[in-house]
Amino acid sequence: MQTTPRSNYYEILELPAHAPQHEVTLAYERARVTYSGENPAIYTIFSQQEARELLVMIEEAYNVLGNKVLRNIYDQRLLSGLSSLNELTYASILEASKQVSPEIKVDNVKIAYKKDDAFEKEILNQIDWDGEFLKKVREYKQLTPQRLSEITKINQYYVSAIESMNSEKLPAVVFVRGYVMQIAKALGLDDKKVVDSYMQFFKARLGK
Amino acid sequence: MEKDLHKLYLASEQKTDTKKNNSAAKLWVIASGKGGVGKTFVSSSLGITLSKLGHTVTVVDLDLSGANLHTSLGLTPSHLNIRHFFEGTKKLQELVIPTPFSSLSYIQGFWDSWTPTEISFEQITKFITELKGLRSDYVIVDLGAGALEPHLELMLQADEKFLVTTPEPTSIEKTYRFLESYVCFSLKTNSTPEAFQQMISTLRNHRQRTLQKPFSFRNYLKEQNGVGYDFFDSLSRTPVRLIVNACRSTSNKELGRSMKSVCYKYYELAIDSVGCLPYDNAVWQSIRNREHVFAAQPFTPLAGEFLATCKQLIAPEELRAVV
Repeated sequence: MQTTPRSNYYEILELPAHAPQHEVTLAYERARVTYSGENPAIYTIFSQQEARELLVMIEEAYNVLGNKVLRNIYDQRLLSGLSSLNELTYASILEASKQVSPEIKVDNVKIAYKKDDAFEKEILNQIDWDGEFLKKVREYKQLTPQRLSEITKINQYYVSAIESMNSEKLPAVVFVRGYVMQIAKALGLDDKKVVDSYMQFFKARLGK
Repeated sequence: MEKDLHKLYLASEQKTDTKKNNSAAKLWVIASGKGGVGKTFVSSSLGITLSKLGHTVTVVDLDLSGANLHTSLGLTPSHLNIRHFFEGTKKLQELVIPTPFSSLSYIQGFWDSWTPTEISFEQITKFITELKGLRSDYVIVDLGAGALEPHLELMLQADEKFLVTTPEPTSIEKTYRFLESYVCFSLKTNSTPEAFQQMISTLRNHRQRTLQKPFSFRNYLKEQNGVGYDFFDSLSRTPVRLIVNACRSTSNKELGRSMKSVCYKYYELAIDSVGCLPYDNAVWQSIRNREHVFAAQPFTPLAGEFLATCKQLIAPEELRAVV
């Protein structure tokens, strides 16, 4: 996947630079509707493949602009005008954000739920982490998809798609990986173990 | 005797006219890529809505494939029609016929020609001049389907340009083809023939995906000598306004916005989406009774959509507080 920013993230989401946060989300949701699936608006202009490529860019743009920390860094670099193109890529922005705040704070969200020792044990020993089991854990921790979406800042649509492992509704693999990581952290799980296992299942599905 | 009276009337009209007619009539043009998407319905409805808002309006039927604006307005076709203008026997102002709607008049389209109508460039230029000289606040021209040269020239000269589509892929496809013709037609007059040929072949390569990946039409025009780059900008300043007609679902309503985004991403061309008209069975039912739906049912969501669209276009600052 190429991340050459030929047009900046604001242009991708067709937003003015001073757009408030809720408009960023709105623009992103509109763009996702336009370029995903069978929207007739792209007919004879963009192919399905090109729409998917656009969707990757849209997803990337929202990952930065939809996050206040990342957007700040991006804005600063964009406005200074000194930055080379390399400094405006997703990877470099993400890198810079780690220096600002070492870990994206998900941990400070207190989750209230009833402990069930048997299930805790099951979680500890679980090897196969597919969407269904993630859903089980979420329900055990008494989180609605909406609440989980609020904590992780992942679109609720994707939270559900990750649980149902519906690859058609999900963006490119790298993003799915990031999402699962976030969800695992939010659920207080061993994120590395969960992600590796989940991605195996997910890729197996994609292969079909 | 009767004729003399008519002449006297026209002369008096012209006198009062010189005082009032400092500003030319605003020209609104309604076009579409595909036939049967509701151009005539949109034209007549915009006319009625504007007249209800207190403006004088003349709707003009320029559908070369056969007139039917009169039917949409619930009138019988008139023998005094636009043919007389193109044959050179009458001025356009002399062809204006009143309608039962107050401050709304119309000009009957071709319906007694028996031969295909050819319009030359000189004729269309004269036509546009006389349209803008009509004694009306607004002149709305209902075109036939497709990107014919007279249509494109009229679009270019219009104050507001509307493109009607329905949510079907067949119509969307033809809407894009119309837009492409319109953009190229506009650029043609501002380009040298060689540069224009070059541009067309570049666009063709763009479509066939043989250009190197990040292709920007805007940048291409900027770098090219002999192509009207400024003109491309002015196309964005007076954008084509898209109307999506016969929407049956909420996803249809997003279509206008989606098409706007697609045009921007592909051509960097700004168009505007002004309205999504809900599908309403009352429309075809009232046409069967030879009556405009706004006469039969003036307070429907459909009428509301037209009202909002018209208000937005003629006085956007009034609506800003509400939005």
